[in-house]
Amino acid sequence: MGLPHHPLETLRPLTETELSEWEEAYAAVEAYLQALRLRNRLLVAELVRGILWRASARGAMEPGVPARMLAMEETLSEIAEWTQEILGEPLEGRRLAARGRLALLLADMPGKWQGVFLTPKPWPPEFTESMGQSYLAAGPQFASLTMLPKPLELNALGSGAAQWWETMDRRPIVRRMFVIFLLSIVAATLWFIFFE
Amino acid sequence: MDDQAPDYPPKQRQFFSPLRAGLRRFIFFGSVLIVNIAATYWLFDLFTRFGVHRAYVLILVIFFLLNGLLVLGSFHALFGAWDMIWGRRRAARIMKLAEKAGDAPLSHRFAVVMPVYNEDSIRFCARIEAMYRSIEATGHLDSFDFFILSDTRDLDLWVLEETAWTNLCRKLGAFGKIYYRRRIKNENRKAGNIGDFVRTWGGGYEGMVVLDADSLMDGGDILKMTRVMEAYPNLGILQTPPKLIRGSSTFTRLQQFAMRLYGPLFIRGLNHWQLGGGSYWGHNALIRVKPFSDFCELPALPGREPFGGAILSHDFVEAALMVSEGWEVWLAWDIEGTYEEAPPTLIDHLKRDRRWCQGNLQHLWLIFARKLPLTVRMHLFMGIMAYLASPLWFLFLVLGTWVAWDRAGSGLSYLPYDGTLVDRWLGIDGSTQSIILTAVIFGLLFLPKILALLGALIIPKIRRSFGGGIPLIFGTVLETIVSVLLAPCVMAAHTLMVIGIVLGHAVGWGNQNRETDGTGWGEAFSVHLIPTLLGGLWTAIAWHVGPTYTAWMSPILLGLLLSIPVSVITSKVRYGKALARHRILATPEELDPPEVLRLADLAHASVDPALKANDSGRYGVIAAVVDPYVNAVHVSLLEVNEISAEQEELIEKCLTGGPAGISKQEMSELLYLSPAMLKLHRAVWLRPAGGIHSVWTSAVESYRRRIDSGAVEEPV
Repeated sequence: MGLPHHPLETLRPLTETELSEWEEAYAAVEAYLQALRLRNRLLVAELVRGILWRASARGAMEPGVPARMLAMEETLSEIAEWTQEILGEPLEGRRLAARGRLALLLADMPGKWQGVFLTPKPWPPEFTESMGQSYLAAGPQFASLTMLPKPLELNALGSGAAQWWETMDRRPIVRRMFVIFLLSIVAATLWFIFFE
Repeated sequence: MDDQAPDYPPKQRQFFSPLRAGLRRFIFFGSVLIVNIAATYWLFDLFTRFGVHRAYVLILVIFFLLNGLLVLGSFHALFGAWDMIWGRRRAARIMKLAEKAGDAPLSHRFAVVMPVYNEDSIRFCARIEAMYRSIEATGHLDSFDFFILSDTRDLDLWVLEETAWTNLCRKLGAFGKIYYRRRIKNENRKAGNIGDFVRTWGGGYEGMVVLDADSLMDGGDILKMTRVMEAYPNLGILQTPPKLIRGSSTFTRLQQFAMRLYGPLFIRGLNHWQLGGGSYWGHNALIRVKPFSDFCELPALPGREPFGGAILSHDFVEAALMVSEGWEVWLAWDIEGTYEEAPPTLIDHLKRDRRWCQGNLQHLWLIFARKLPLTVRMHLFMGIMAYLASPLWFLFLVLGTWVAWDRAGSGLSYLPYDGTLVDRWLGIDGSTQSIILTAVIFGLLFLPKILALLGALIIPKIRRSFGGGIPLIFGTVLETIVSVLLAPCVMAAHTLMVIGIVLGHAVGWGNQNRETDGTGWGEAFSVHLIPTLLGGLWTAIAWHVGPTYTAWMSPILLGLLLSIPVSVITSKVRYGKALARHRILATPEELDPPEVLRLADLAHASVDPALKANDSGRYGVIAAVVDPYVNAVHVSLLEVNEISAEQEELIEKCLTGGPAGISKQEMSELLYLSPAMLKLHRAVWLRPAGGIHSVWTSAVESYRRRIDSGAVEEPV
């Protein structure tokens, strides 16, 4: 964790811009660790300090790269490498990041193992075991069945109605004529009832 | 045996003797027909006294249909009461099958499936948790798997479902026991969702307990149902009669009280004649998977929606298809631990009815289908008439008003002659006969309520379970008054629905409102304006006919005129709670919640501060991008895929414009791409504040809080 032995005398003066950049980097790393639900303030502070020292060293070699980017890259790669070491799985970089974070969650790192987080070997066997068993399965082994619709067997009346209905759907002119016919019948009935 | 061959029921002695079943059906429907014919003839006899009117023939036809439905309903209660008093031993055999099986391990595996569509994930996970724990308590958890089958289209709710499910599994240690699957395309709605499950995993299970998102079932009862299915190989579907629970508004409490008090009579009456030819109500049922896959893929109906196309009310049809292939469908009336919730307001109830109305009217096609047994046709007919009855009733009232108007205008007196058949037989005048016939109709209408109330008052255990005799009587009176007031409004709404469907207006698939603070006056005004205006017009006409006629029509007119205030007042939770304090409209489940309800109330496994996607500022999709754990869970549930150059651009657009800067379709596309979600996550944390949209920076900064023992303090 960090560089506890680092003497204060080695600090160099920083400009306002640098201070502001590193303040943002500090905030981002601290926020990320808190997003990982690390609850212990001392632990978070120590981890942030360590990561920022490393980022700062990288910054000296990569001028022009924003401090926040350096710091967060260090954070993410540190977590990914550390979890890969525990999981012992050869995973492609991007998938590894998700797998590692998922393992931290499912092994309940925030609740039980925050003191172990990012520490070097040896880790408690219970922790490594629960990290290794952490995966999500959305479903069990496929056990497929077929479902094929059978056409509706209609009687003579139903078949006739279905044919007529589909004809009306296909040909709007037939539908319109049918509606006019129906309305005429209704009108004739009303006329008969009221005026005849 | 070939797994792909259709599964026909084994040939064995039927549980319900066909002779007895036929006799019961003959007696039941024969009684309904005789009483209906007698009442219709009586009305015809009265009409012959009043002279000739053009409307009489139509009135008699409609009366025959409506009175037939009324008698059908009342006789269900009557035969139900008969069955309860005399048929207990015989009827109770259904669950005795389960008892005979003893406590041996189940020989098959069963799935508990809950389809969800834009639901509150914490609430449905609480129900899953309760059922999981309840089955666990029976010691047979190993025989069950649980599936949350999501068709959710709301992207935020999708993310919330994933986090809730992960937490649920973490807390219960249920990875590999509770599964979550979301369909990319929700074809064919709920039936398609279940069908997708059957096609993918159905082969691993003998049966599936199908639930709704608001369903809750006792683990012991689920076990009993599976034992019945194992013991009787001809059983295709075992439907339970769910009880309504957790009603908080007056409207829901009225519904749940009515269902709880009167429901058992109807259920027993229904079971009395349907026996092995029952129906499926879409949820809280156990279905044998193989025959379901063989016979229950729904055919498309002729033509387009609303009458044709995909079948909306799939459940009745699935039961019909099973029964027509020789599988039995039972109603497990004696299963106690089966529950669901009801829409909280009249308006929500009518919205749901709009879907059901279209679905049931589609069943008109099936009336003309070959091979369907009588019981199936009766179920379909009753389902159709549940909605067609409203326009018929409306027309009946209109015709009645027309006759009254003409009679008032003619100045003729009643009783122009006597000596009709009924007159000679009864020896009383026509006016008295009219009053008696009306009383008979009202008697039929209120018979189920009277029978149920008497039964509850007489049996001490039931009386106490409803909070005592006085609350029971008060509750029944209140429920009767409010249901009389609500009926005309529902009639008007159903009539408009049927007209809308006939005119070709199809309904979409909306999610169901489970809880609300009540209906606002504006909303009630817009929904109930037509019934209110209709009520006003009708009152004026009735008053013109005469005060006596207005008094006769007053229940209808008041219901229409007061539809807005009744809708608003019954939707208020505070009135419902006030009634609950006095045990009015109380139900046994409310006063003494069963174990599974208590478990559901205490269930909170899906909520964990370590994994949450519902914080202000990082809700749903934003959490899926920003939060390290939510992102990890989401990505882990996606397939491995790659992104194209266009999708790279989309990622950039999302970063600079925020989720609101791209369309829902585009956001959905990104959410399905694991590299995109990882890239977004990395970018929002790496890039300086100026380089991305403020929604991301705010979400990132929101983590800078001190978290001590789960409690969150103010930002630093």
